[in-house]
Amino acid sequence: MANGEFRLRVRYGKVGRLRWLSHLEVLHALERTVRRAGLPYAVTHGFSPHMKVAFGPALPVGTAGENEYYDIWLTRYTKAEELLSLLASAMPQDLAPTAAGYVGDSEPSLGAALTIARYQVEVTGKGSLTEQVHAAMKSLVDSGTLTVTHKGKHKVFDLARSLPEETRVTQSADGSRIELAVRIGPEGSLRPEALVRAALQSAQLDATVVRVTRTDTLIEQQEGLWARPL
Amino acid sequence: MTRTDLWPAIEPLLARVERPARYIDREWGALHDGEAAYRACLIYPDTYEIGQANQALAILYGVLNAIPGVAAERAYLPWMDMSAAMRETGVPLFSLESCGAVRDFDLVGITIPYELTYSNILETLDLAGVPLRAVDRSESDPLVVGGGPSVFNPEPVAAFFDAILIGEGEEAVGEIVSAHRAAKAASASRAETLHALAAVPGVYVPSLYETVRDAKGAYAGTQPLPDTAARPVVEKRVVADFDAAPVAIAGIVPFMDVVHDRYGLEVLRGCTRGCRICQAGMVYRHVRERTPDHILRDVVAGLACTGYDEVSLTSLSTTDHSQLEEVLRRLQRRLEGTGVSVSLPSLRVDAFGVEMARLVSAGGKKSGLTFAPEAGTQRMRDVINKNVTEEDLLGSVQRAFESGWRRVKLYFMIGLPTETDEDIQGIGELVHKVFRTAREATPPAQRGGLKVAVSVSTFVPKAQTPFQWEPQISFDEIGRRQQVLRDSMPHKGVDLHWHDAEISFLEGVMARGGREVADVVEAAWRGGAVFDAWTEQFRLQRWLGAFAETGVDAESIANRERLQSEPLPWAHISAGVAPGYLWRERERAFAGKTTPDCSFAGCTGCDVCDDLEVKIVLAGDSRG
Ligand code: SF4
Repeated sequence: MANGEFRLRVRYGKVGRLRWLSHLEVLHALERTVRRAGLPYAVTHGFSPHMKVAFGPALPVGTAGENEYYDIWLTRYTKAEELLSLLASAMPQDLAPTAAGYVGDSEPSLGAALTIARYQVEVTGKGSLTEQVHAAMKSLVDSGTLTVTHKGKHKVFDLARSLPEETRVTQSADGSRIELAVRIGPEGSLRPEALVRAALQSAQLDATVVRVTRTDTLIEQQEGLWARPL
Repeated sequence: MTRTDLWPAIEPLLARVERPARYIDREWGALHDGEAAYRACLIYPDTYEIGQANQALAILYGVLNAIPGVAAERAYLPWMDMSAAMRETGVPLFSLESCGAVRDFDLVGITIPYELTYSNILETLDLAGVPLRAVDRSESDPLVVGGGPSVFNPEPVAAFFDAILIGEGEEAVGEIVSAHRAAKAASASRAETLHALAAVPGVYVPSLYETVRDAKGAYAGTQPLPDTAARPVVEKRVVADFDAAPVAIAGIVPFMDVVHDRYGLEVLRGCTRGCRICQAGMVYRHVRERTPDHILRDVVAGLACTGYDEVSLTSLSTTDHSQLEEVLRRLQRRLEGTGVSVSLPSLRVDAFGVEMARLVSAGGKKSGLTFAPEAGTQRMRDVINKNVTEEDLLGSVQRAFESGWRRVKLYFMIGLPTETDEDIQGIGELVHKVFRTAREATPPAQRGGLKVAVSVSTFVPKAQTPFQWEPQISFDEIGRRQQVLRDSMPHKGVDLHWHDAEISFLEGVMARGGREVADVVEAAWRGGAVFDAWTEQFRLQRWLGAFAETGVDAESIANRERLQSEPLPWAHISAGVAPGYLWRERERAFAGKTTPDCSFAGCTGCDVCDDLEVKIVLAGDSRG
C-alpha cells in the first residue's frame, strides 16, 4: 500500500437475479459503482492506470453470495459509514453493500485470508426428501473421496479435509436444503453443487440442484475458530 | 392488456445457456414503470451485447419513458441456445424490465440496423409470437414500427412492419405514440390506426402503398393507395436543433461485456464531405455540431451517472467537429487523475487527425490507428470524392509512428465504379509506401513490432447515393480482382483481411431490392437463416435456395446497371437529397471531378437545407 492510502473493506451480496453474473461482471459493476458514488479511489501507476481494488474468492455464474468482500484503496479518509451509504445509493440493489470498515496495512489479502466458505444448496424433485438426501450425503462423505471431472481433467478431493464441518440437511418449501462448509484455497476448491450432484446420483435419487448460495466466506484463525473478515 | 411476469419460466433456462447476463435486466439505469397505461418495447434485432450499445435506442428509451403514462422497455434477440430453450418450453420473447411477453405490448419498435439483420427481424417477430407480415396481424397484435439506419430502401422488409419511421426519431417517436394512443382512446381499428400514423410526417405505412407495373409488366413505381393520408414521397425527419436535442445521459450500464462498452456522446450529426460511396453521408445530411460547453456538460454528467471509465465522442466523423481540439483539451483537464480515458471512433487521414489521436492518448496506451483511404490511386479517390491525397496519408503515418504508434490499419475497397487493374495495383503500391514510411519513422530497435493491417471490402452500391444506378461487380469478378490485389501486395509485415465476397453480394441484393425481396428474406429465414451478420452463422446456400424458391433474380438486382429513366424501388422514400443532385454527382464522378465539403465551401446544391428547412450548424467557424 502506498503512503497516504486508506484500505476500505466492503461486504456485499450478489443475490436475486444478479447471481447470474460472472465474477468479471461483478468486478466491473463494482468499479463503476465506486465511480458513480464519487469515492476518492486510488489509481495504479503504470501502463494502463486502473482502480486499485482486490476481491475475495470468485463466485461462479448462477451461484449467489450473501457475504462477499472486496478491498478498495482510497486517497482520502472519510468515515466508513458515509462511504457505505454513498456506495449503497450507486449500486444495483441485488449487489448492495452491507458493511464497510478500514483494514490495516499489514493484513493479508482477502484472497489469501478467506479459506472457508459456507454454502446452502437447495434441491427439489421426487427424491428430495430430507431423509433421503441426508442418507445420500452421508454415504458419499463416508466413502472418503470424490473425483470431479472438469474439462477432461480429474481432481480427487479428500472429503474429510474438504468438508471441515458436519453437513446439515433440512426441509425446505419444495425439497430440502443442504448446509455445508467447504475449505477453499489456491490448490482447488470443491464445488458444493458437484458434491451434492454426486451424492444424488450415487444414491439414484430423482432430484436436481436448483439453487446454490454461498452464505459466508470466512477466515480460519490459529485457534481453529472461524471469523468474518469484517 | 394482460401483464405476465415470465421470470419464473425464464430463470430455469439460464443454467443451460451461455452468458445468462444477456437476459437478467437489473442494470443500473434501467427504468421500471409497472403502472404505465401505454407500453412500448424497443428491440434491437441482435444479441444484447451488440444492441445494448445502440445510442439511438438509448435516446428513444429516455424520450419515451419521460412521457407521462408511457413506459418503454427493451428486448434483444436471444442467442440460439436460449431461443431453442424458449421454444422448447413455450416461453415467448420477453422484455427485460418487466419480463412481459413482447406480444402484449402496445407498440413494438424494432431497429433496422443493416441488411444482414433482416433474417433476425423475422426471428424476433416469430419468437414473440407476432405474425410476420403486417397484413396478417389482428386487432390484438401490437403495432410493429421500424426505424434506424437501413430504412432508406425499406422495401425488402416493408411487408413485416406496420409502419417505418424514416430519419431521426427524437421528435417523431412521441408523435407516433400520441397518434397511436389517440387511436386507442377512440377504439380505432387497426386499419384506422395505420391511416392515422401515415399522417405523421416521416412515417411510411407500407400497406398503404402499392407497386405499379407498366404494360410490359416491368416495375413502374410504388404509389400510395387512393383515399389515404399516405404521401407520394415520405420525407425523412431531422432534428433541426441538435444542440438542444435530448442525449442519453443516464444510460443503462450493462453488466456483461458489450461492444462500445463506454459512455458514448454524439458530438455532431451528419457529414457533408460528400463521399459518393457513402450512404450515411448522403442520408444524414445536414451537419449539426454540438457546442463545446454542452459536450463538456453532458460528458461530465454522463460519466457521473454511469460510472464508466471511458468516454467516446461519436459521430460519422468526429475529427470533423470544428471545435474538437478545444473539446479534447478541456476534457483532458477535467478527467486528469481519474483514470478515465477519451476515445474517438474514427480518424481523418490528415495531420489534424493524428494530432487529435495524440491528444486523446497522451501518456496512455497507444492502440492502433485506423485510416480509410478507400482507394489506391488519386484518380479513383477523385471518382469517389474522397478528398484525401497520398501525401496526407503518408504524412499522417509518419507523424503517428514518430509519436510512438506501431500499428496502423488501412481500409480499402475494390469494385468501385470505373476501377481498373491499375487502381487495384495502386492499393498494393500505397500499402508499400505506408509500410516504408512507418519503418523509417520507427527506431530500428522497435521495427519488429511494426504492423500494417489492410482490410479490403467489395464496394456495394447503396440506395440514395450517386452510385445507386451502378452495377455491383459479379462474384467471379470479385475473385479475379482479389487475385490482382494479392499479387501486388507486399507480403512482409502486412496483414491482409478480406470482407467476405458472398456477404457483399447479399448486402448488394438487400440494399437495392424491391418489395419482392421480402419473400426471399422470409424463405431464407424459414430455411434456417438467422444471425447472418455473425460470419460463422452465414450460409450463402440458404439465400441461394431462397432466391430459387421465390424466383427472384438476385443478379439483376445486384449486378445490373440501371437507366436514369428507370423507376427505383426506393423513390417514394426521400432523404431530402434531390435525385438530380445524385445524378450530377455521378456524372462528376465519371468526369473525375471532385465536389467540396459544403459545410465550408458553400452550398453545393443537394437541396437538403431548402427541402427540410434546416441549416448547417457549426460550433466554430473553421475546421481544425
Ligand atoms: S443543401 Fe447545400 S449546404 Fe445544405 S447540405 Fe446540401 S449542399 Fe450542403
